Amino acid sequence: MNFSSKLIEEAVNAFAALPGIGRKTALRLVLHLVKQQPEVAEQFAEAIVKMRRNIKECERCHNISDEKRCAICADRHRDQSLVCVVENIRDVMAIESTGQYRGLYHILGGVISPIEGVGPADLNIDSLVQRIQPEGIKEVIMAISPTIEGETTIFYLSKKLRDTGVQVSTIARGISFGGDLEYADELTLGRSIVARVPYKGMSD
Amino acid sequence: MKLESFILTNFKNYSLQRIECSPGLTCFIGRNGMGKTNLLDAIYYLCMGKSYFNMPDSLAVKHEESFFRLEGHFTVDGKKEVVVAKVIPRKKKELERNGAPYRRLSEHVGLLPVVMIAPDDTNLATEGSETRRSFLDNTLSQLNNNYLQQLITYNKVLQQRNALLKQFGENGGYNPALVEAYDRQMTGPATAIHQSRQQFMEPFRQLLQQLYQSISGEAEEVDCRYVSKMDQAPLDELLRDAAEKDRILQRTTVGPHKDDLDFTIRGYPLKRFASQGQLKSFILALKLAQYRKLMEEKRTPPILLLDDIFDKLDNERGRRLLELLIEGDFGQAFITDTDEQRLEAVIRQFGQQYLKYQVENGTAAKLNRHE
Repeated sequence: MNFSSKLIEEAVNAFAALPGIGRKTALRLVLHLVKQQPEVAEQFAEAIVKMRRNIKECERCHNISDEKRCAICADRHRDQSLVCVVENIRDVMAIESTGQYRGLYHILGGVISPIEGVGPADLNIDSLVQRIQPEGIKEVIMAISPTIEGETTIFYLSKKLRDTGVQVSTIARGISFGGDLEYADELTLGRSIVARVPYKGMSD
Repeated sequence: MKLESFILTNFKNYSLQRIECSPGLTCFIGRNGMGKTNLLDAIYYLCMGKSYFNMPDSLAVKHEESFFRLEGHFTVDGKKEVVVAKVIPRKKKELERNGAPYRRLSEHVGLLPVVMIAPDDTNLATEGSETRRSFLDNTLSQLNNNYLQQLITYNKVLQQRNALLKQFGENGGYNPALVEAYDRQMTGPATAIHQSRQQFMEPFRQLLQQLYQSISGEAEEVDCRYVSKMDQAPLDELLRDAAEKDRILQRTTVGPHKDDLDFTIRGYPLKRFASQGQLKSFILALKLAQYRKLMEEKRTPPILLLDDIFDKLDNERGRRLLELLIEGDFGQAFITDTDEQRLEAVIRQFGQQYLKYQVENGTAAKLNRHE
């Protein structure tokens, strides 16, 4: 692409560096901002700068946060004895949008994978272990992908948590809702049969 | 199961080539280096989703081209199956069945059973245990897709465990709980792999003995025994005992990835005690036993790819080999040879219908009409 303006080119490059945005989309966004009043672009830039300057990591659960403690940790109505361990912030958002969970979170920041050079020291594991007793946590739910890396992380965490006496559970794995048995892969179906659950009627 | 025709685009030394196949024998004749074996490898690729020769896909792309494509038209149980493999180096390779891409390439293995017999198969006897394990894995994967899935899982966990041991070795420190996390995940697949191998090898040994005698015309006793440390103890125990050794050597020293097949003649190691002729007969018997096993359990004869075998065999062994193939309700075979007269002479004895191609510098031309 050839730009008549160096300023436009720089702005396009900045937008195009974002994930999911190609050069054509970047140009469209830049031209849109050019057409607007200067204040619009200023507010836009200000929002980004302010966000980046003030965003924090929650000191307790490592979620993104405006304050030292994130909104979830600060919410006294949530069950303080229940902690859900997830890989990253996007997983928190996914679980939150189900509206089914009223406990707290702990974000690991990844899973153990020696091939990728990620070991336990690179993850927020010690801070989880240290939370259990002072906070009076009774149950830790592992909401981690059932991959080899995920299983390794769950096993390692459960070993680390053993001395604290906290109850460790994992989210159920199996056939997805509205899914067809016929199309489930064999591994999932096999595990679903082995880990079957008593039928409790249609209430939930 | 039959291969009706296949098309190669930019595969090895072929630009664009369509081959129509005989339901019986299809022969490729030409001098060395003209591309006969590449045609067999194209068929193998369509059946297994990879080359028979342990080479990266990028090297199978024709010189100065950017991709290759293979298309095979098969009939399985009277139904048409079109398999397409597309490879663009540095991009994900795609394998399609009837227009739908496979999510996992491994799902394809076993649909179209295939056996290749090539001159360098003698390295099964002469080289390290890896070649023998891959012979076992190749056979069992085609027989049972679950075996392949277990093997893939096992190898993934093994890779992580080895990477971990290496890190400990380089950076110091050792974390037994983390090692155990991998041990736990290895035992399930390892036990399944060990059991499958064990169950398969027992009847296989007798079959090998029988076929060896038929091919060689000799009464010597041959054997191929499956050797695994897991015969004595379960993997978790083996891993525990080897923990210190693994730590020092920075890799996993026990498990199915260390299993082997022990080839013997008259009770002695084949590699050192067999003559050249006996070695060839043994390897042929091994491959034929693989063919028979696949045929028996798949209830259809596999596609047989015979690469230049009459060159390395005396006429007597070659004739017996063909005899064995034909009496065993044999299906479809593809044969390469440098010598047209020799091949004709062998084939004529059996009155099979066949198609003949002359292969010259990456083009194959049909020599006879289908009778």
